[in-house]
Amino acid sequence: MVISALTDGITRSLEGAGAALSGSFFEPSLRLGVTGLSRAGKTVFITGLVANLLNRGRMTQLQAAGRIEAVYLQPQPDLTLPRFDYESHLAALTGDDPRWPQSTRAISELRLSFRTRPSGLFAAFKGPQTLHLDIVDYPGEWLLDLALLDKSYADWSEATLTRIAKRPEAADFMATARAEDGALRLDEARARALAASFTAYLTAARANGWSDCTPGRFLLPGDLAGSPVLTFAPLPKPASTPRACLWREMQRRFDAYKSRVVQPFFRDHFARIDRQVVLVDVLGAIHQGPAATEDLRRTMAEVLAAFRPGRNGWLTALLGGKRVERILFAATKADHLHHSQHPALTAIMDAMLIEAKTRADFAGARTAAMSLAALRCTVEETLPRDGISLDAVRGRLLQTGKQAVMYPGQLPQDPARLLAPAREGAARWLDADYALMAFAPARIRLKPGDGPPHIRLDRAAEFLFGDRL
Amino acid sequence: MADTHRPLLLEIEDRAEADPASATAYPEAFADGLPQGRAMQGAARLATRRASLLGRMAFWVFGSLFTLILTVSATNFVTALFASNTALGWAAFVLLLLALGLTLIAAGRELAAYARMARIDRLRAAAITARATADPAAARAVLAQLASLYASSPATAWGRARLTERAPEIFDADALLSLAEAELMAPLDAAALTEIEAAARQVATVTALVPLALADVATALYANLKLIRRLSEIYAGRSGSLGSLRLLRRVFAALLAAGAMALADDLIGSVAGGGILAKLSRRFGEGVVNGALTARVGLAAMEQCRPLPFVALPKPGTSATTSRALAGLFGRAAEQP
Repeated sequence: MVISALTDGITRSLEGAGAALSGSFFEPSLRLGVTGLSRAGKTVFITGLVANLLNRGRMTQLQAAGRIEAVYLQPQPDLTLPRFDYESHLAALTGDDPRWPQSTRAISELRLSFRTRPSGLFAAFKGPQTLHLDIVDYPGEWLLDLALLDKSYADWSEATLTRIAKRPEAADFMATARAEDGALRLDEARARALAASFTAYLTAARANGWSDCTPGRFLLPGDLAGSPVLTFAPLPKPASTPRACLWREMQRRFDAYKSRVVQPFFRDHFARIDRQVVLVDVLGAIHQGPAATEDLRRTMAEVLAAFRPGRNGWLTALLGGKRVERILFAATKADHLHHSQHPALTAIMDAMLIEAKTRADFAGARTAAMSLAALRCTVEETLPRDGISLDAVRGRLLQTGKQAVMYPGQLPQDPARLLAPAREGAARWLDADYALMAFAPARIRLKPGDGPPHIRLDRAAEFLFGDRL
Repeated sequence: MADTHRPLLLEIEDRAEADPASATAYPEAFADGLPQGRAMQGAARLATRRASLLGRMAFWVFGSLFTLILTVSATNFVTALFASNTALGWAAFVLLLLALGLTLIAAGRELAAYARMARIDRLRAAAITARATADPAAARAVLAQLASLYASSPATAWGRARLTERAPEIFDADALLSLAEAELMAPLDAAALTEIEAAARQVATVTALVPLALADVATALYANLKLIRRLSEIYAGRSGSLGSLRLLRRVFAALLAAGAMALADDLIGSVAGGGILAKLSRRFGEGVVNGALTARVGLAAMEQCRPLPFVALPKPGTSATTSRALAGLFGRAAEQP
C-alpha cells in the first residue's frame, strides 16, 4: 500500500537489488523494525535485547544461544545515521543510580553481528555462519505520521478537529481555529500563531496520555523547527478557497510535510523491514482510562495499516519488494504485573490489535503476542489482604525512590470487559479500578555471562530471529 | 393444570447473570436423560473383568496352594529336625527365618520400584497436562518433583544447579518444561542411548554368530529385559524384575499393535551396506534386523521410562541409532574372519 508506493524510484531499487543480491549469497542481514509509540519502551527494549545477546546467560529460550560463538556490535552500514548509544543507555539502566534512559529525540541505528555454528543436515560441511541484525531506534512521535500518508489535508483537518473538539487541552486552539477564516489571504504571522497554538495543544495532549498526537514532528522538530513545512494546523474548510488563501497554503504545507518529511523517513527505515516487533504499553493505557485505551487502539490500527506483511520468497527478496515476515505484538512493562496476570494482559493486547494481526495472518506472515519486560525491575510477592492473598510485585517507585509493593488490580480474563466500554466512550471503568505506579530500574548485581534481568525477552528473540541463527 | 395461555415473566435477582458464552449445551437436568449406551458399556466392562477375574482367581488358588505346600513342608521339616536333633533344628529355623526376611525385603524392593515407575508415569502425565494448559504453577510442581526424583543422581547435578538458577526467571509453562528437559534429560538420554546401542550390538552379534536355534531367541529376550531394566534404572533410579517384565510386555504390546515389529524391511538398509549383507548371508541379515528391532524396542522403552516427553530435544531415530550401534561391527568384522 503506502510502503509499496514509497519503494518506487529506480536508483533505490537498483541499489537495493545489489545489496539484496550480496546479502542473500554472502552475509545475510536482517532488519528488525521496532515499532512503538513514544514511551512504549523502544529504547529499553533495544538496549535490553542487545545486552542480553552480548551476554547470553539469561537467554534460555533462545534455541540457538548454545550455538552462538560470538556477537559483535558493529558500526552500522548507514553512514549518515548516528549510532544507537547502547553504552550510555545501558549505563543509565544498570549504573549505581539506575534510571530510565532519556526519551529518544533523533533517529539512530545499530548493527549486531552473530557468528554461529551451523546446525542441520550439512552442518559438518559448513563453516560458521554470519548474520547481521540491523535495529533502528527513533522517536515514537514520528511513527504517528505514518497514518498521515494516505490522508488529504481536508480529511485530516476534519478528523482531527472533530476528535479534539471535546478535549480540555484543545480549548485554546479550538477557539483560535474557529476564529480564523481560511478563505482570507495567507498572513505568515497568523499561520505561525496557529501552528504554535496547535503545538501547545499537542504537547499538552501528549503529557496527558493521548496517543494520537499528529504530526509527530511538531513535538520533536529537530532542525526543521520554524520552517514552513512545520507551520500549519488543521482548519475547517471554508466555503470558497481562492488562490493563495490561508487554507490552500496550509494544504500545500501539509502535502510538503508528507512528501518531504514523512516519506523519506519511512522509505529509509521502514520499507525494508524483515521482522517487526510492535511494542504497546497496554498497562499504561488501561491505567489512564477507557478514552486512552480506545485512543491507543485506534492509533495503533492506523499505524500498522501502513506496513506490508506477508511471506518473502527468495525471488521477491532479490527484486526488492520486501514484506514483513514475522510480527510480534508485545505488551511491555509486564514486570509491573504478577506473572499470573500476564495471560490476561496478552489477551487484552491481542484483542486490541486484532485487526492488524488477522491482516498479517491472512497475508501469510507469522504473528505472535506476548507480555514482556525488556528490563525487569520488580520481584514478585504475595500480599495478604482481608484473608485472601494478592499476587503483587515489589520494586523501587519512580517518583519517590522508595520500595513499594503494588497490586494494580485484577485484569479481566475477557478483553471485551475493557475494550467494549472503551469503544463506547465510557468515562471510567465500570466495575474495576486500576492503579499503576511506575517503577524505576532496580540496582542489580550481575554475574559474569548474564545479561540484565528480563521477562520473555529470550522468547521474543527466538520468535523474531531465532530461525535465522 | 397449568394455564398455558397467559404469558409469564419471572424476574430473578438472587441468581448469577446468564452467561451464554460459557453455558453448557443442555441444561443440567437433561444431561442424565441422554442415551449413553450404559448397558453396553457395562456389559463390555463386565466381560473384560470376568476374563481377568477367572485368570486372577486361578493364579490366586494355585499360588495359595503352592505357598501352603511350601509352608507346611518347611514346618514339617523343621519340627522333624527339632525332634531328631535340637541344634540342627535351631539352625534350620534360623535359616528359614532368614529366607523369609530376605523374601520380604525383595518384595519390598519390587514394590518400591513399581511405585517409582508409577510415579514416573504420573509425572509424565502431569508434564503433558501442564504444557497443554500452559499453567506455570503446574509446570513448577513438575520441576520440583523432577528435582527431588534426581536429587541423588550425580549425572544430573549440573543440570539441577542450572535449573534452580534459571527457573525462577521463566514464567511460561512450556519454557520451564523445555528447560528441565534440556538440562536434566540430556545426560540421561545419552546414557540410555549407550545402553540401547550396546544391547542392539549384542543381539545382532549373537543372532548372527550363534548357530543354535533357540539360543538366539533366549538371548534376544534376555538382552531386551536387561536393557529395559537398565533404562528404568537410568530414568527412575531403581528397577525391579516384575516391573521390568511388565514394562517389556507393555512395550511389546504397543509395538505389535503399531505393526512396528513386522516392518523390518525398512530397517535392513539402515546400516550401510545392510541390504547387500543380507543378500550375501542370510544369518548376517537376520543379525542386522534383530539389532535394529532391539534398538526400536529400546527407543520405545526409553519413551515409556522418560518422565518428560520428547519436545525440546529431538527424539532419537531407529535408523540412526541402529547404524551407530552396528557401525563397524559388520563392515569390518564380516570381512576379517
